Amino acid sequence: MSDTKQLFKPEDRGFDFGTAVAEAGRCLLCHDAPCSQGCPAGTDPGTFIRKLRLRNVTGAIRTVKENNILGGACGVLCPVARLCEKECAACGIDRPIRIGKLQRFLVEQSWRTDFRVFAGRPRPAGEKRVAVIGAGPAGLSCAAELAKLGIPVTVFEARPEAGGVLRYGVPEFRLPKAFLEGEIADVRSLGVEFRFGKRIPSRAAAEALLGKGFSAVFLGIGLWKASRLEGKPRDVAGLLSSVDFLAALRDGRKVAVGRAVKGRTVAVIGGGSVAIDCARCALRLGAQDVYLLYRRSYAQMPAEEDERQEALLEGVHFLLLNQPVGYLTDPRGGLRGVSLRRTRLGVKDASGRRRPEELTGSDWALEAQVAVEAIGNEPEDGLGLIRADARDCRTAKAGVFAGGDIVRGPDLVVRAVLDGKTAARSIARFLTRGRSPQKAAR
Amino acid sequence: MEKRPDLSVEFLGKTFINPFLLSSSPVSNSAKMLERAFEAGWSGVAYKTLVTGRIPIVHPSPRMHPYHYGETRLMGLQNVEQTTDRGLKPNLRDIAYLKKHWPDRVVMASIMGFANQEWADLARACEDAGADMLELNFSCPHMTVEGSGCKVGQEHELVEKFTATVRKVVSIPLVAKMTPNLADMSIPALAAKRGGADAISAINTVKGISEIGLDDWVPRPNVFGKGAISGYSGPAVKPIGLRFIAELASDPKLKLPLSGIGGIETWVDALEYLLAGAATVQVTTGVIHYGYRIVEDMIEGLSDYMAQKGVSRVADLIGKALPNLHDTGKFDVAKQGVAQYDLDRCVGCGQCYIVCRDAGGEALEWDAAKRRPRQIEDKCLSCMICGFVCPVAGLITFKKKPASWKRRPTVTLG
Repeated sequence: MSDTKQLFKPEDRGFDFGTAVAEAGRCLLCHDAPCSQGCPAGTDPGTFIRKLRLRNVTGAIRTVKENNILGGACGVLCPVARLCEKECAACGIDRPIRIGKLQRFLVEQSWRTDFRVFAGRPRPAGEKRVAVIGAGPAGLSCAAELAKLGIPVTVFEARPEAGGVLRYGVPEFRLPKAFLEGEIADVRSLGVEFRFGKRIPSRAAAEALLGKGFSAVFLGIGLWKASRLEGKPRDVAGLLSSVDFLAALRDGRKVAVGRAVKGRTVAVIGGGSVAIDCARCALRLGAQDVYLLYRRSYAQMPAEEDERQEALLEGVHFLLLNQPVGYLTDPRGGLRGVSLRRTRLGVKDASGRRRPEELTGSDWALEAQVAVEAIGNEPEDGLGLIRADARDCRTAKAGVFAGGDIVRGPDLVVRAVLDGKTAARSIARFLTRGRSPQKAAR
Repeated sequence: MEKRPDLSVEFLGKTFINPFLLSSSPVSNSAKMLERAFEAGWSGVAYKTLVTGRIPIVHPSPRMHPYHYGETRLMGLQNVEQTTDRGLKPNLRDIAYLKKHWPDRVVMASIMGFANQEWADLARACEDAGADMLELNFSCPHMTVEGSGCKVGQEHELVEKFTATVRKVVSIPLVAKMTPNLADMSIPALAAKRGGADAISAINTVKGISEIGLDDWVPRPNVFGKGAISGYSGPAVKPIGLRFIAELASDPKLKLPLSGIGGIETWVDALEYLLAGAATVQVTTGVIHYGYRIVEDMIEGLSDYMAQKGVSRVADLIGKALPNLHDTGKFDVAKQGVAQYDLDRCVGCGQCYIVCRDAGGEALEWDAAKRRPRQIEDKCLSCMICGFVCPVAGLITFKKKPASWKRRPTVTLG
């Protein structure tokens, strides 16, 4: 599989010191920087870019990492064109400062120069310990923030390694493994404890931790069940969900998946970022043709503009205005193709996008040996979305907090980071109940 | 094709096809290199300084260091380069070669002696080789040989003596090259004139330290663990060079033609030197940064400027800024103005607000909702720093106020 390994190399090398300083040189150094207002997690690009500009590189790294423990991953994955960079005042002149790339550069620079922001910080030593369920973006952010507040924290993770969606849901060509490891090492350096392979089976079991040595619980368990097309068979050989497909590429099943895809025709169903990721992975695994099947048109796709462009340029065939209506199988139960029905766009639906209307008598079949359903993620069986207050991440149960996708539904990593920070501060207040968090930590 | 303005200029009885020369440095080190420079369009050269073979010249290694400013490379350049290390004879053969093959270009041989007799010997040898004129190097700031370079330039008796020595033995014109590492350049320039110099060139490099290593604490360039205060050049020194040229050009006792040097990269820089009183200009650091090709843009740019301004001769530009150069005491401070803002083009960065508040008259308020500055006009100091930081060219301009206008006094606390 050396060829697949090659194909999964990250495409964007990021800035080096010279290009980063040059880019920072373009920054207008705004008063009350609009970019900083545009970051959901409060990473504060206005400050870290100014620091970089003034040769305070270590300070710039500190700003990123203190504000956003996953600042590197956010720098890589954030749809900056509709967040910080959208607000950039330089847009009024020509083009925004490349804030995401600068943020990523600073985090990589910290690793390159071995400048560890949290080195030498005392380990959390408070009497009260917090349980964080899930080592994804929300859980890591909450755990890091708690540790910074001096509160001991244990992260329970069902899977063998940390990262959550960053590891098992984002392809390696977008977020290299070494990059993720660096970012998790920064969380560990704060003294956060991890227990892997430790699945907390239910919400009740999580809440029960309150009596077992934990004074508060944060639920950041994400959405790990793939939504599936209704009423369609699921036990077809060659038919996968996006969750299975992407996780397989990161957990050791890459060779087997590669064998199944190489030289074949792959149909990916869906129009979001996950569908685009699946399609691009299929291409990198050597698929002969990759079709992206979407029932609306290009403009209605939820995937980011740059992702759509990149997928098109790489050779993904966008098959728009087509609704999958069934799977064709061969006598041995293997996938042979996808039945499709053409659609046209009608009036707007509740999402504000024009509704696809099926055209009767337009059915046709696309030959494909592999199909990936990438139409959304939902809570795992037995769980619904958890209701929590957006201001403090409290749930109905005292001492239990929640954030990230399990509260919001599918959303951005940077908003999960925000929830983790919000919850940690709220937990600190809860633990002290009026006393300062620093005192509680002692 | 349209008629292009004639860029030729007379300097010490020679016709230069344009005012752009290479200065004495690594860019004028050999005939082989200079042939390419002449092909590119340079009108002449101050050939890399010659010395007698008495003391072997070895350059320190490394011999240069850049001063980058943010993303701008080579704002300045520091060097510990010595005079030529090629030996006298090969250089004299190269000078003869250039004069034979490039008769319309001017070769000015730069020389530096370490004693009277050496100055005389070098001068004669260069004249015999066919040099059109001599440049007397009284100004190198970092010679490793005692009794040479700018140590001479700072002692006006030596400048006069060495110039007179050379004057006695050759008939070709003499240009004395000055160091800027002194308070008043008129003193050595007048000494050179008394000794028989026909022109002055200025400036040689400014003594400086461009950078100090943060890990090894060695000033740069790091010559195997040692640094030195040495010659600093490039765009960063242009204001210093212009000052000295303007002062020499304004000196009623001097009245010698000038060759301007210091931070020239573009036709604009060159033109400023002409307007300040130089008849020719010399370039090194610009070539170290971009190569000989920059002369193409200097020629085209100056020629288009002259066509647009209706100026037919370079000579008509020389010293044209001098009538406008005054002591600050001559300013009419009764006339005042303010910064004015064309806010339709504002992008809302607020840098004007920050600097006005912290370094100006606190004359701006910030409308956070609209992200726009709001000027309190009678607090504006007209320092114009808001305009310096504004990213939109021409948004902030200076506006004259009527004589009746009064500025509010600065607030006093306590």
